[in-house]
Amino acid sequence: MNKILLLSILIGASILERAPAADLTRDQLDFFENKIRPVLADNCYKCHSTLAEKVKGDLLLDSREGWLKGGESGQVIVPGDPEASLLIKAVRYTDPDLQMPKDKKLPDDEIADLVAWVKMGAPDPRSAIAAQKQWADDKTNHWAWQPVKRVPIPEVSNPDWCQTPVDNFILAKLDENGLKPNPPADKRTLIRRATFDLIGLPPTQQEVEDFVNDDSPGAFAKVVDRLLASPHYGERWGRHWLDVARYSDTKGQPRRNTEDNANPFAWTYRDYVIRSFNENKPYNIFILEQIAADRLTTSARNPTNLAALGFLTVGDHFMGMQNDILNDRIDVVTKGFLGLTVTCARCHDHKFDPIPQKDYYSLRGIFDSSVEPKVEPVIGKIPNTPEYFAYYRQREKLAQDEETIEASLPQLRKTNNVAGIKLAQKGLRETEHAISELELTNPAAPMRAMVLEDVVHGHDSPLFIRGEAGNLGEKVPRRFLQLLSGPVRPVFTNGSGRVELALAIANRKNPLTARVMINRIWQHHFGEGFVPTPDDFGMMSEPPSHPQLLDYLAMNFMTNGWNIKKIHRLIMLSSVYQESSLNNPRYEQTDPGNRLLWRANIRRLEFEPLRDSLLAIGGTLDTNLYGRPVDLRQKPDSTRRTIYDYVDRANISDVLINFDFATPDMVTGIRHVTTVPQQALFLMNSPLVINLARRLVAMPDFVDSADDAARLNFLYERIYQRPPDAEETALGLEFVNQTPLREEVPAANKVAANQLPSGNKPGQHGNGNRPGGNGNKKRAPLTSWEEYAQALLQANETSFVN
Amino acid sequence: MNQDDKYKEEHSIRLADRFLTRRQFLHRAGMGFGALSLAAMFGNELFAPAAQGMEAEASLLPKTPPFPAKAKRVVHIFAQGAPSHVDTWDPKPSLTKYDGQQIPGMDGVAMGSPFKFSPKGKSGIEVSEVFPQLGEMVDDLCVVRSMYTDIPAHEVATIMMNTGSRLVRPSVGSWVLYGLGSENQNMPGFISLRPGGAPPGGTANWQSAFLPGVYQGVSINTKVPTLNQLIENIRNPVTPLAEQRRQLDLVHKLNELHSQNLQKDAQLESRLEAFEMAFRMQTEATDAFDLSKEPPTIRDMYGRNTQGNQMLIARRLVERGVRFVQVWAGGWDHHQDLQERLPERAKDIDQPLAAFIKDLKQRNLFDETLIVWGGEFGRKPTRDRNGGDNPGRDHNSKAFTTVLAGGGVRGGMIYGKTDEFGAAAIEDKVHVHDLHATILALLGFDHKQLTYRYNGRDFRLTETAGEIMKPVIA
Repeated sequence: MNKILLLSILIGASILERAPAADLTRDQLDFFENKIRPVLADNCYKCHSTLAEKVKGDLLLDSREGWLKGGESGQVIVPGDPEASLLIKAVRYTDPDLQMPKDKKLPDDEIADLVAWVKMGAPDPRSAIAAQKQWADDKTNHWAWQPVKRVPIPEVSNPDWCQTPVDNFILAKLDENGLKPNPPADKRTLIRRATFDLIGLPPTQQEVEDFVNDDSPGAFAKVVDRLLASPHYGERWGRHWLDVARYSDTKGQPRRNTEDNANPFAWTYRDYVIRSFNENKPYNIFILEQIAADRLTTSARNPTNLAALGFLTVGDHFMGMQNDILNDRIDVVTKGFLGLTVTCARCHDHKFDPIPQKDYYSLRGIFDSSVEPKVEPVIGKIPNTPEYFAYYRQREKLAQDEETIEASLPQLRKTNNVAGIKLAQKGLRETEHAISELELTNPAAPMRAMVLEDVVHGHDSPLFIRGEAGNLGEKVPRRFLQLLSGPVRPVFTNGSGRVELALAIANRKNPLTARVMINRIWQHHFGEGFVPTPDDFGMMSEPPSHPQLLDYLAMNFMTNGWNIKKIHRLIMLSSVYQESSLNNPRYEQTDPGNRLLWRANIRRLEFEPLRDSLLAIGGTLDTNLYGRPVDLRQKPDSTRRTIYDYVDRANISDVLINFDFATPDMVTGIRHVTTVPQQALFLMNSPLVINLARRLVAMPDFVDSADDAARLNFLYERIYQRPPDAEETALGLEFVNQTPLREEVPAANKVAANQLPSGNKPGQHGNGNRPGGNGNKKRAPLTSWEEYAQALLQANETSFVN
Repeated sequence: MNQDDKYKEEHSIRLADRFLTRRQFLHRAGMGFGALSLAAMFGNELFAPAAQGMEAEASLLPKTPPFPAKAKRVVHIFAQGAPSHVDTWDPKPSLTKYDGQQIPGMDGVAMGSPFKFSPKGKSGIEVSEVFPQLGEMVDDLCVVRSMYTDIPAHEVATIMMNTGSRLVRPSVGSWVLYGLGSENQNMPGFISLRPGGAPPGGTANWQSAFLPGVYQGVSINTKVPTLNQLIENIRNPVTPLAEQRRQLDLVHKLNELHSQNLQKDAQLESRLEAFEMAFRMQTEATDAFDLSKEPPTIRDMYGRNTQGNQMLIARRLVERGVRFVQVWAGGWDHHQDLQERLPERAKDIDQPLAAFIKDLKQRNLFDETLIVWGGEFGRKPTRDRNGGDNPGRDHNSKAFTTVLAGGGVRGGMIYGKTDEFGAAAIEDKVHVHDLHATILALLGFDHKQLTYRYNGRDFRLTETAGEIMKPVIA
């Protein structure tokens, strides 16, 4: 008691000054939790809380805001002054008209505690919002927390339309709303849609022809199977996952003076993701590996799997602020796999979802017990070559330099040699940078994995009161979220607890894991998921458009061994996937957002498939898989697929930003689709597009075409994978036969431009001009044909899938 | 009129004729973004009212704020590095008195300001000699002396000042653009000017985060040697504008054929506007940055140096209706050699900013343009222990000064107060959130109402805080 009195004297003054402040010391919090909250809860809440059947005297005692506001009799607690506080008067039973609790006077020690508490300034951690939460109800009511149900396949008006059970669910909803699905898309549209969807590239002319001419009933299934088997499938779907994993080749904000910005091995995680999709790794294994590959026996056999841990480690380093790094890891795990915003509970109980602050610190303990080793383990073969030994010597020398500098620091610090310290730090930075550069660029440098390892003794984290590192509460055991645990909620004891966490997530009993992934897959096929917020399935999210179908697919997914490619197949072989995107004005009134899927959505290509398809159209795409990143800003002429671009977290390139790239600062389950003029400028003016136009018109098939109509046809097939219709042909012919406006161009060029053929045979032109092309003269103005080709590239059809 | 302008004008009208009937327009407006630059083509007045009240998903179309606005736009000059308030705007005679001695109850040794303060203007506000020209304009300035922030680390505090958060959140400019749209559909509505390099925090300082990308600041490196490098792909290397116009008309026709059978998709339609704006930007955006179009007298007035150029570009952007301009004018991290180095930084901005204010006044833009000058935190009244013989001051998050002007702010006014030594704000304390709330209030917004729903939560610039500095609003 003396201690508390002393405390109240020490801090009393400041508390009195600003009673509403919620700043609590550790001792105050303990006192409140042990002595005050139980008394209030046991004796007062029945009539004075938001949960009371009838609130008496308009007074709430279950939150600080409640008693601050007071009741019918006015202010009940005067912080710091028990004698002036009605609440104290009431519990003391001195006033016959004011005696609380009504039935029985409190024991003397409890009254003394309340007096001491008020004297202290009535420090109270309870906020009104938390008090109003009725989590028990939320847990039983919100659809996403319910177990995935086995649902019967519904009866529909037109069973013939249904190619798979997916269609029954879709059609049943359309039936309910009096809508009919669109007729199927034509085959050229369909193969283009499927090809962009699965591999992020346009189909080749041959692939289109084969499909168009294949009248067998399984023709489309053949296309889907071929695409699912393509190694480019992993590049397309791996990128979707990298958006979730906030992938970057840099740290963004490295630790000051000790770290280089680059993550020279982030790409091994990127390749792991691509490979996992290509190998159709079961999704539950994919989860286990990304959370705890270091603890799986399979990793011993196949060390490349260790790269999976990049999921946790490719995040920002926040200038070395460890609490922010751990927060980022909790965020990516819970949003990525569970669609839960657990990090909202870093400073207080979650405002909307049943996630108490303690749950956050249960997870924090897990990740605080997992550390990055100073040197990443080698996961690739070490080549026995002179190049490797040369690399090794360089690497060793740099490591020695680093050690030497580090060894000098204590002495410099001791003597407070500021200039010396600064110089040493500069040296460290430079050495770190040289190491990154070497690892990133030297082909002989072996692959390494950005792993996490468990500390020897896993430990629990204390709760940070209000999220403040200097304000520690009680320790919280490492275990899974309360919301997703059954009645038994075991404490994690296996090392850091990451294995147990991973198993709790990759678990058929977990109601969120399969649903969240199914929703992501559906979204990338249709433009929007059942739940429009893929990273948040909480109370504030919109309910799913087709809850039954979501559960059907989730159940199917789990019972088929979490097989992702099977889900693609099931979805794509459904009629709903194959609908045309034609408009229906009447339906648009009923369902403007097309949530019921009476037609296919038109979708804009992200930057990666857009750039990749431009390279493919020009026939220059480098189809090699995997490997170190290439910085497209430094090498704009590189023809590697865009997924291999160097992603610099703190310095994303303008072109990526302008095309709504998923910024790696956070989990991005769905990208914005904005339409900004910089996108148009890219298509109008970038050398990539201009050179592509020149290249197309210089292609032998174009040059050798019999006439202008054949040339138009070639360009349409090449760019849109379809022939032009009569109107389009007329428009094209009109354009290429007009004289380009050339007021700025020297007369000599003008002649050449005007000579451009319309129906002339190749070889009839002087000065080496190909029909329509100006060859390699990079600065020369475009010919009519080149301009026309560029117009086709700028038109919507290039950038959209319909 | 040159050939390019002629084509632009003729074809814009024709294009609009072809695409716009009243019914079609309303249809597009209902789609949100579709209305974007059709309104611009016809002058905003004609169509803006029809678009009001419609929930435009991601539009730059000008919007009317919910409350009467004092300011229409913002120019934020960011004195990154944390300027010492006690050497610039917040005189502390007691520091001089205690110079070299321990301040009672404080660690370290007092450092009196090496600079002289004297009363200026009618208001008699004391300004340091390092700002001779700005000092003369003090009757137009509101000196907020009671700023404070959370964490005295540059990156964190810089991002905090620009986004109100340490986490990934939209910048002030993005919020303003989201709330108000832009007055110029030919240019980005939020432009950040930096003299090379990247400030601490990089793009986080002008990011749109979860707001749509159209509200992102466009960062312009004003040190690049040529105009064409300012905005990526702003110029076509081979096709003359007139010919590009012809090509673009073909593109529109191709799109029209393509979309005939498809849904009327807002995205497809907004592409037309985006291409047209891109086309116009090629001339107008580069024009805005072309200082050779300014008369020599004006260039001299601003000073022909980095900050002079930046402030002059800022004025050209303001004139063109750009909603939010961020100007990076840093280098204020004076841990040592303060006496020598602080005046250099002050000199960098003194004349350009004074000229900017004068210039806005003579163009009647001052009253509707809110100008903010300030850093991310302040500095300690004591000598930095690492400063050696030529000391400076260490970081201090508990006190700093921000200067406001124009845009409905009372001039010749001091707001708030620090303690006797300038160690901490003590009266009318202004947190970063409070500054943001005040900026939004001047623009006609209740900072609690300007929200955006993301991942199921309504976010706002001021998080859960923010008190408006009512007395500074004229």
